[in-house]
Amino acid sequence: MNIKTLNKKLEKRFGGAVIASEDEYSVILSGKVDSWEDMLSACYMAVDKKSDKHVVNDIVVSGITPSKTRLPKERDKTLDGEQFDVAIIGGGISGASILRELTKWNVKAVLLEKESDLALHASGRNDGEVHPGVDLNKGSVKQSYVVKANRMYDKVCKELDVPFKRVGQYAGFTQGWLLPIVWLFTLQRRFLCGVDDTRIVLKKTIKEREPKLNREFAFAIYNPMAGCVSPYNLTIAYGENAVENGAKVCLDTAVLSMEVKNGEIKSVETTRGRIFPKVVINAAGCFAEDVAKMAEDRFYSIHPRRGTISILDKKSGGIIKSIASIKKLGGHSHSKGGGMLHTVHDNVLVGPDAVETSEKEYFGTTRESIQTVFDKQKNTAPSLSERDIITYFTGVRAATFEEDYVICRGKRTKNLIHVAGIQSPGLTTAPAVALDVEKMTVELLKELKCDVERNESFNPIRKGIPNLAEMSEEEREEYIKKNPDYGIIVCRCEEVSKGEILDAIRRPIKVTTIDGVKKRVRPGMGRCQGGFCAPIVAKIIAENENIPLEKVRKSGEDSEIAFGETKGGALYDV
Amino acid sequence: MTYDVCIIGGGPAGLAAALAVKEEGGTPLIIEREGELGGILKQCIHDGFGLVRFKEKLSGPEYAERFIEKVEEQGIETLTFAFVTKIEKTSQGFTLKVVTKDGIKTVEAKKLILATGCRERTAKQVSIHGTRPWGVLTAGACQNFVNIQGVMPTKRCVILGSGDIGLIMARRITLEGGKVLGVFEAKPTPSGLTRNISQCLDDFGIPLYLSKTVTKVFGDGRLTAVEVSDVDERMNPIKGTEKIIECDGLILSVGLIPENELGEKLGIEISKTAKGAKCDENFETTVDGVFTAGNATHVNDLVDYVSESGEIAGRAAMKERVERVLIDVEADENTLYVVPETVNKTAGKCVMYFRSKGDFENKVAVITVDGKEIFSKKYSRLRPPEMERIIVDFKKVDLSEKSEIKFCLKEAER
Repeated sequence: MNIKTLNKKLEKRFGGAVIASEDEYSVILSGKVDSWEDMLSACYMAVDKKSDKHVVNDIVVSGITPSKTRLPKERDKTLDGEQFDVAIIGGGISGASILRELTKWNVKAVLLEKESDLALHASGRNDGEVHPGVDLNKGSVKQSYVVKANRMYDKVCKELDVPFKRVGQYAGFTQGWLLPIVWLFTLQRRFLCGVDDTRIVLKKTIKEREPKLNREFAFAIYNPMAGCVSPYNLTIAYGENAVENGAKVCLDTAVLSMEVKNGEIKSVETTRGRIFPKVVINAAGCFAEDVAKMAEDRFYSIHPRRGTISILDKKSGGIIKSIASIKKLGGHSHSKGGGMLHTVHDNVLVGPDAVETSEKEYFGTTRESIQTVFDKQKNTAPSLSERDIITYFTGVRAATFEEDYVICRGKRTKNLIHVAGIQSPGLTTAPAVALDVEKMTVELLKELKCDVERNESFNPIRKGIPNLAEMSEEEREEYIKKNPDYGIIVCRCEEVSKGEILDAIRRPIKVTTIDGVKKRVRPGMGRCQGGFCAPIVAKIIAENENIPLEKVRKSGEDSEIAFGETKGGALYDV
Repeated sequence: MTYDVCIIGGGPAGLAAALAVKEEGGTPLIIEREGELGGILKQCIHDGFGLVRFKEKLSGPEYAERFIEKVEEQGIETLTFAFVTKIEKTSQGFTLKVVTKDGIKTVEAKKLILATGCRERTAKQVSIHGTRPWGVLTAGACQNFVNIQGVMPTKRCVILGSGDIGLIMARRITLEGGKVLGVFEAKPTPSGLTRNISQCLDDFGIPLYLSKTVTKVFGDGRLTAVEVSDVDERMNPIKGTEKIIECDGLILSVGLIPENELGEKLGIEISKTAKGAKCDENFETTVDGVFTAGNATHVNDLVDYVSESGEIAGRAAMKERVERVLIDVEADENTLYVVPETVNKTAGKCVMYFRSKGDFENKVAVITVDGKEIFSKKYSRLRPPEMERIIVDFKKVDLSEKSEIKFCLKEAER
């Protein structure tokens, strides 16, 4: 669609409030509207699937000023003056996996993450599904990666010692008359899109395999290659393997600005000083557009879309062994509508929903969104009950208006690589995307006349924290004999020992927060939600780090757990 | 060696049970997951424990110490920092796998007493939404931080739930120099003991707000405020009544849940009314040889009765196994629950506990067997938070398998 046509459409809809212009890489919308929804409508109108151009949103929405980016308060000069071959901005699954692949080369690489841990944004706030790719049509960047990446998961998770299960996925249809159409659809997916595990299963099979699913399902699209993984554990594992292979990870470190001259990033100002990277990789999630702007290479826009997922008590784990959702003719095109998933830890996740938002990092939950999800998912499994919820969480997807990835070199800034717009199936595609970006980065470095040689001592194997509750009695006994701390159970709900908690705060990427321990070894994830173990975990952290208990943090800055001692102080050693 | 009775939990119920077993000539073993015996009493430094049993006002640790001393004197074996991961039924009784700092121990026992206490209901279980800052703590966790670890997790807080633990913490936080902005209760009547309302709230000028709840929290790293709403009769928030209260702590005292995970794996039935392990007058669960005691059976409000239930279970566990013929005790619509919920055909004088469903005046508790009254007691006032104890003699009638035992709270004749 050419720009004149678009402007006519916009005029008709917005009466001159929004106008479109274009440049070599983008269609730019500017003007002023009254609602976020109007802005979204305008930007979607400008999307042209046949063109290469991305939509850039310069529309002002009256009454809405999105919050300022939350930055670490702590500032120092620990990185000041340092030179790097590669600086990756963003410690989610994209940044961490790329960092690890880059350590196959002798490059000096650093990952900058503004939060106090990896995977604290979208990468740690999703259901961990490793998608089979059946819901994506040919033509998108994300589709080009999904099947290939899905097949990589066994190897990657084995190397990184991260639990992964191919549980399979059912997309159920109650409208039996759709069978012939859906069957054709599955053929297209199998033979044209390469999703070769796609098949149709009928009512009887569904009932045998998943007796608690909606008995009204006439048939389902079944993909045995669908799987589940813990998304934050995978991100952390990638990051740790990268550090073990010589890369640097800087947490609580935000990028403030960049010096760009003659289409080249000369330096990057961070909250820990000014660094001089040869290549910058923009893997900043919801902030990718902001980073692109800093790098004078903004040619796409991100519109955040949040989703909330509920976690059910392990006792309800029997409701589903795999991944399932109900499909109806008609429905959202941009959200899969959520489903139910059995995790590697035997919880069941329900959700997510999809709600457009102006806030990039507001992770609050609402009663309404849980209700919406449950109302829908009771059609997937009728025995689903809100009473089984032990907790819930929200994540924010970084979506471009084209609803596809932006993986390419900078358009105007030559030493920049964008890995942006990574929404679902971003977790799934990460291993394959990382390999491609590794290639792109090495090529770029070579073009910039940097000597890039293979790292002969690269070791893809990373050993995770031992999980004693899953070991055989003999193996567990051995661990306890070597270290009695493994025999002291601290988290009763998830059966986690003091030894494992200490392991969690002594990893290659050092995170000594209550949430960091929770993510790595699970205290606080059980039915008591940390009621019993949080005080003990805090004490273990305080003792190991030799800091006063009140300085122990839940997660980021400002989350110190206490305001000081009581009049009597600690009564005795627990 | 095979222990006569293995007691899981070294809190007040487990301690009393162990002493009773020893007194009956048996060999008990206490398995305790913390480093010290005493259970939750260790952190209950307020007094009021033991009024019934010892006619004294003891603190939690002092009450526990009375039993711990005896346990030590009697040479009763205990395992601390010991966690039961697996229990299997055998022909002799039970085999337990226990994780300890000295390795995994295998314990054989003829009988089991599950004295595993409760856990606290969480913020998510009462639909509190918003962000996830630090500062939202269950009252027990807050109590641990303040009393055991000696730190103040909050300086200005809101307490949700007028259950006893919340009331105790309201006073505790105030005594340590914190400010309690109010106790908010979703029900129209307070949940805790009357004496706690007066000694913890009234005495300290802490306001109690009824029919209100917290629906949302704000804050990034640390809590900055909560949103409070009025609620209707079904305890659902009423739109339009939201108020924001700035605070750095939200202490939750929204109910205790008997902890019976191990028991459920053995197949014990959970009572739909008392929410703990369903049992008979000997505190034996629906699985032969497995007994329950203390808060794992139902949430007690006096530790004296917790000890009593431990003793009953301990004594009963030392008796020979018999084929049980159990008769249900049916509670009426005025009764929240009766424990025990079943009695043996051979039952004699039994201790029973009950809670009313509402605030009642001038009621009489009546137990009938096939229509014949065998027990009657008048109560001028009954409230759900105040658990009542009665002694019923079932030998007054001939119990049969088909007997209908009914427990009613009727209007008292004036």
